[in-house]
Amino acid sequence: MTLDPLKPAFDPVTLAIPIFVLTIIGEIVLSRFGKIKARYEARDTATSLLMGLGSSVAGLITGGAIFAVSLWAYQYRLFDIPMAAWWAWVVIFFLEDLTYYVFHRVAHERRFWWASHVNHHTSQHYNLATALRQTWTGGVAGTWLLWIPLTLLGFPPAMIAIQKGISLVYQYWVHTEAVRRMPAWFEAIFNTPSHHRVHHARNPQYLDSNYAGILIIWDRMFGTFVAERDEEPCRYGIVKNLGDFNILRVAFHEWMAIGQDLARARSLREMAGYLFGPPGWSPDGSRETSKIIKARWAARQAGLSPESPEGTDPTPVAP
Amino acid sequence: MTIRKRGEALTGMNGQTIQLLGSVLAIAAMVALAAWARIPKPCPPLDEESVRRRLAVEYPDDLVDAVWLAADGAGAISRSGDRALVLARLGDCWVARDLPWASALTSRIRGGRVRLKFNDPAAPRLSLAVSGVNPWPPSEPESDPYG
Ligand SMILES: [Zn+2]
Ligand SMILES: [Zn+2]
Repeated sequence: MTLDPLKPAFDPVTLAIPIFVLTIIGEIVLSRFGKIKARYEARDTATSLLMGLGSSVAGLITGGAIFAVSLWAYQYRLFDIPMAAWWAWVVIFFLEDLTYYVFHRVAHERRFWWASHVNHHTSQHYNLATALRQTWTGGVAGTWLLWIPLTLLGFPPAMIAIQKGISLVYQYWVHTEAVRRMPAWFEAIFNTPSHHRVHHARNPQYLDSNYAGILIIWDRMFGTFVAERDEEPCRYGIVKNLGDFNILRVAFHEWMAIGQDLARARSLREMAGYLFGPPGWSPDGSRETSKIIKARWAARQAGLSPESPEGTDPTPVAP
Repeated sequence: MTIRKRGEALTGMNGQTIQLLGSVLAIAAMVALAAWARIPKPCPPLDEESVRRRLAVEYPDDLVDAVWLAADGAGAISRSGDRALVLARLGDCWVARDLPWASALTSRIRGGRVRLKFNDPAAPRLSLAVSGVNPWPPSEPESDPYG
């Protein structure tokens, strides 16, 4: 088989669309008859699916330009990595997945990129439809630049596009409550429903964890892995959940909030903080970053409030 | 543009339009199925105890002085010092926000609902049902425990 290095022979995501539809139908029907655990609310489902549709339309608009940049970068490649070689697929599998980890971590820990990624986390539900709640503004946020080093290394743009698609399709199935745990060896190596539930949870102890795409090994290596604990059920969504189901709000609320903050900023330092600080950053510390939320939670667990190190403050403990 | 190319472009356009229409239909079918299945999360109307339980999660560092329940149990406004902690139902889930207590007291009531405004693009407004039994703002002793 000859593979065109510049034009992807197929798009794994497009090919998987029928599987998406059938499995969502399956998850709803099986839950309806009490066979599996899954919760669906019609408006929440509509929002997730429309975000998915909007994301593919946005992809049509920006995708061409992004692919053109990678074709341009490919001219300056260091090596000629053959697309037909099996080892090249093994290497790109790991390197693309590591790139995804870096992207996903940046997308959570820096507000400019969070503004684009947050929409994926806005549902308070966790089901297969939630997987399709995808960004509309990824092209604008520029996180696709993180994949350019692979092009410069010499991986053909078509190969990278296909591997990115495979990763996205893999990540679809982990968005379910129907699967409690996979076998231990699988949970050790791969991203699973259990690991990704934690990633979608807003419980303080679960924030900013499990950024994995396909392999969970990166989280284990870089210290961002948090295991799901049955005694601490995941509460899904974002720290401050959205007030309605409006898809424009889902897509743009954080960008609007950034705009509001920039208009109010009094210095370049403040502007930089609002744009590239962690989500929840504020000049006077009046808002909460996930670090602060986690620290307060840890202090409560230890029976101490951070404001009263002597432990005299009877702060109520969350159940 | 040659005729052949124009033809190809049109076919491409049609292909995309058909794909878009197909996607919209599939989405409508899945949403209808989700509505038919009636498998939301359990989300019973609030009572004072459930409000306090929920606020202990949303605002674990704040003490709740008094709770006002919406007429339909689909929301609550609680006083915590000089702040109002608001819970409002969204579908089968809850949304929490806070605002100054004074602003909550003076929020407009229209169509039997108190309309609370927030300086937050993620939730610019939430509205809760008021009734004769549960009037808003609440009567004095409850509304001003420090008074
Ligand atoms: Zn994420
Ligand atoms: Zn996800």
